[in-house]
Amino acid sequence: MNPTEIKKLILKSQKNDCDTKEIARQLEAKGVSFDFSKDFNNKILSRLSDRTVSMIPESDFTRTLNTVFYRIAITGIAAIVFLMISIYLMEGSVSINSLLGMGNLYDESVLCLLTGI
Amino acid sequence: MNVSYRQADEDMLVKASLKGDTTAFGEIVNRYRRLVARTVKGMLGDTVFAEDIGQEVFVKLYYSLPEFRGEARLSTYIQKIAVNLTLNEIKRRKRMFSLFLSKGNNEMYEYEIPDEESSDKREAKELVNKALMQLDPKFRIVVVMRMLQGYSTKETAEILKLPLGTVLSRLSRAQEQLKEILQKL
Repeated sequence: MNPTEIKKLILKSQKNDCDTKEIARQLEAKGVSFDFSKDFNNKILSRLSDRTVSMIPESDFTRTLNTVFYRIAITGIAAIVFLMISIYLMEGSVSINSLLGMGNLYDESVLCLLTGI
Repeated sequence: MNVSYRQADEDMLVKASLKGDTTAFGEIVNRYRRLVARTVKGMLGDTVFAEDIGQEVFVKLYYSLPEFRGEARLSTYIQKIAVNLTLNEIKRRKRMFSLFLSKGNNEMYEYEIPDEESSDKREAKELVNKALMQLDPKFRIVVVMRMLQGYSTKETAEILKLPLGTVLSRLSRAQEQLKEILQKL
């Protein structure tokens, strides 16, 4: 392959008065061709026959939301696990009291705090 | 594949597909898969992910065939679907990546050029791919339409639904960008 030749063809294709069909043909002859995998047709036909394709196209927003949701969910789970471990290390247990930060509080202390006596 | 459809004209294939004949539709896929591949893979890179968009194009075509009135050529109709789905995908990925990454545009794509191609062809394809991926998508689509599909400026404007002047100005900008990009490659 001569890279200079390919580069020249690429630039030439952007000139308004050039023969774009000829350039596309030349590039293809040099190996710049694209196709899908061998079982591409079968995949489409099986999708059509299985009727797995939704008739209502998924909106752009929904697709983005789905992708973003997984990432947020994974981050959220990691944060919860981290929090539980740190509570366990600090309080020695993961009881409701520990989660609420009242692991070391006695009933009397709570009464004191609430009533101010 | 049904042999009788190999010689069939587009009109017959469309009519048979509308009646639910998937063999006829298979022939349409066979005829236009390379056309779609040039647009989708030219825009998104030679990736497995581009393959999914390619499938989407034909699935969407199948369900939108009742709306095809035959005023334009079937290839143009398919091309428009391919362009729309590809540009939507680029926008979607750009939005998604901007949420999580601060990487440059060209880092969104991976190159997976099949191993079976000769090294010369691989290199040529890689060079074109690298140059294309560094272009802004709005310039890239114009370059793909002309360089890979061989469309004229007028045809490009029609497919992209853009005024001729806009296509010409994008062509000129694309050429400037390509000169800089190709110098570095």
